Amino acid sequence: MNLTPAGYIVFGMLPTRRELVDLAVRAAALPGAAEFFAAWLRAAQEHQHGSGSSGFTAPPEPLLLRDYQPKFFAPDDFEALQSFTEILIPTDDTPGAREARCAHYIDFLMQASGDAPQTQNGWRDAMKALQEAGFHAADAKGRAALVEAMSQPERDRTATHPAYSAYRLIKQQNTFAFYTSRAGMIGALEYKGNSYNASFPACTHPEHHTV
Amino acid sequence: MAATYDAIVVGSGACGGWAAMELAKAGMKVLMLEAGSHIDPAKDFHHTFLYQMEYRGQAKPGALRRYAGSERNYRIMLDSSENPYTTAPGTVYNWGRSRVLGGRTLHWARASDRMADYEFKAASRDGYGMDWAVSYADMKPYYDRVEGFIGVSAAKEGLPQFPDGVFLPPMPLNCAETIFTAACKSLGWRSTHRRLAQLTRMHNNRPPCHYCGNCVNGCDVGAMFNTVAVTLPPALKTGNVEVRTDTVVAQVRMNNENRAQGVTYIERNTMKSVDVDAKYVVLAASTLENTRLMLLSAKDGLANSSGTLGHYMMDQVGGGGVTGILPKLKGGPSRLDDGKSAGISIPNFQNIDKKTARKDFIRGYVINATGGQSEYPQFASALPGYGSAWKKEVKSRYVAQARVWIAGGEMLSQKENRVELDPEVKDRWGIPVLKIHFTHSDNDRKLIADFQEKADELFKKAGGEAMPGMGRGGPTGFPGAPGSPDVGPGAGGQGGRQGGGPGGGRGAREGAVGGRALGSSIHEVGTARMSASPKDGVLNSFCQTHDVPNLYVFGGNAFPSTGDKHPTLTMMALSARGCDHLLEQAKGKKA
Repeated sequence: MNLTPAGYIVFGMLPTRRELVDLAVRAAALPGAAEFFAAWLRAAQEHQHGSGSSGFTAPPEPLLLRDYQPKFFAPDDFEALQSFTEILIPTDDTPGAREARCAHYIDFLMQASGDAPQTQNGWRDAMKALQEAGFHAADAKGRAALVEAMSQPERDRTATHPAYSAYRLIKQQNTFAFYTSRAGMIGALEYKGNSYNASFPACTHPEHHTV
Repeated sequence: MAATYDAIVVGSGACGGWAAMELAKAGMKVLMLEAGSHIDPAKDFHHTFLYQMEYRGQAKPGALRRYAGSERNYRIMLDSSENPYTTAPGTVYNWGRSRVLGGRTLHWARASDRMADYEFKAASRDGYGMDWAVSYADMKPYYDRVEGFIGVSAAKEGLPQFPDGVFLPPMPLNCAETIFTAACKSLGWRSTHRRLAQLTRMHNNRPPCHYCGNCVNGCDVGAMFNTVAVTLPPALKTGNVEVRTDTVVAQVRMNNENRAQGVTYIERNTMKSVDVDAKYVVLAASTLENTRLMLLSAKDGLANSSGTLGHYMMDQVGGGGVTGILPKLKGGPSRLDDGKSAGISIPNFQNIDKKTARKDFIRGYVINATGGQSEYPQFASALPGYGSAWKKEVKSRYVAQARVWIAGGEMLSQKENRVELDPEVKDRWGIPVLKIHFTHSDNDRKLIADFQEKADELFKKAGGEAMPGMGRGGPTGFPGAPGSPDVGPGAGGQGGRQGGGPGGGRGAREGAVGGRALGSSIHEVGTARMSASPKDGVLNSFCQTHDVPNLYVFGGNAFPSTGDKHPTLTMMALSARGCDHLLEQAKGKKA
């Protein structure tokens, strides 16, 4: 195939001034599309001005979790769950489970799971297993040590722990809650999609052209 | 009796939209009937982030899943509780459908490859099945016309098995695709940008793609080809087209002169039955729905003197593939890798002539590959560990994801793969549903096994590390919920071999066959194949039925074989050719 130099393609993708004007005309003509074209034009113009970024900001999180009060988990279970999720996905140089309000979201899902009693029961069992393992009563250091012990079977197939399946359940749901949140998707992973872009960024790395 | 319309077009997908536009532009009065509801991209399609939805792209926990797709795009899918179908014992077939104005064009994968003579005339070469009643030379002007109108971004390659066309500039390759391209070169395989009906510049007054990666949720600006943005507006502009949505066509009505009189439809919401008449009836309701309508319209099936109606159903072979990471990309910055939802294509290079003939199987397949950042790190919960180190590892792999999948594995036609009317089950409107008989042949299994070897080879050459659960796709079900098994540590330990197709949720598995799962590709074709002689098939080369002169069937029905290209472009080119023929017929004689 003809490997076109990547930079050339990017340049070729940029809309011409004429096209931008056409788009603006269309924006005025299409009901409901004005917002899109405004964002698109901004992206296109910023690109032409050499910023190279779309200038697009992901929308804010909805209000669902802001003042959410737990409904499914008892207060001591909720506190334990919250602490567990923050050990799994801590706040460091990027947001963690706390900012994503993962425990709140898990509670929201579970209270909405009335039609999935098996799921709800699974979570009741998991909280019981944490309780029995001493997680609720432990201090921060003790809790960290417990999570470490519970997670062992993940890396060592010969290891077992009575609360391992509780660990897996919380980890899975917490992973989902975190990476589908704004804090996880945008804050931690810096997801770039779902945005308005004037061009598609081509690979510019010579080292990727050989294997 | 005077017909009310010149033509009734049943369906508004890729072929129905094209037919309505062509016939209306030529001055015909056209009635378009769509079983689903109206949709308005400007109002109904948005960029929605997962966190903006209560259930983050999933159905409410425990809710019965009535729709394919996700919380974001179920409206452009189909309510399977209203539209059931049945399968014969031993058949596992996932019929991916839409009922909405625009049909599956609203969320299709946009891959637009031309078929070549080595596919049209495959039977002459290897002795299996039946040649198409058209050649590439017959089809070329129509491929040109369709591509020129809808806009296909691609690079010219000069490969006879992958014919070039009327292209807009291709989309640039991302880092993973660049690495896979280098791997192909090193293996001596040709590769190219995936050919996409997705604009890279203004075209026919449509804006270029803005690389949001949201294609399967409906394009908000019509930069990807779909009926509502591309073919319907010019059709409506003629003033010759009337669109009636929420009209479930139940049968084609015949008159005493062996001509279609019109159709009967049932209003989706009121259940009222309505008859409409026309000089021509064009079925473009999707391959299997077209055949269902013909089966519903006469005792042994309409236009079925050959006895082949319903038979020779095919779908391209899916399944297999590799997911994992490209270590070269680990730890890099986040990039807009999935903004075009594309990849590279590796055209089939086996069984195209005597020199490349394989002894163990016939026909071929196209390989696709892509990688990089995706919306959701599907692999994360299976990655052992937790804490900051785990978080960093997730991010590091997130940008290095990679996958190789089969794009168009040719499935052999077999007479016993067929659809019939189920004697008992009816849809919400009391119309008998289809019963599907569908199994794979030994050749299909050998072909997918060969693909798996090549996919592994490519992945290895690119320096990839195979791992399960990498690659594109949103979250698949709430972890811990019924039906979403824990991907525990070590689960999927055979490396990153991927069942099903790209994007998740696609293609039913037939169950492991020889340790390997086969799937479908939502590329169902056949069941009313074209033939030179009326003895051998239902349609002629213009997709006109051999038996009923004013009945045309546009879709995948005509395909005597699947070839290894995505079928939509060929279906549209056949529709364009059929429209020319219909208009010639109409000029020649009054109906």
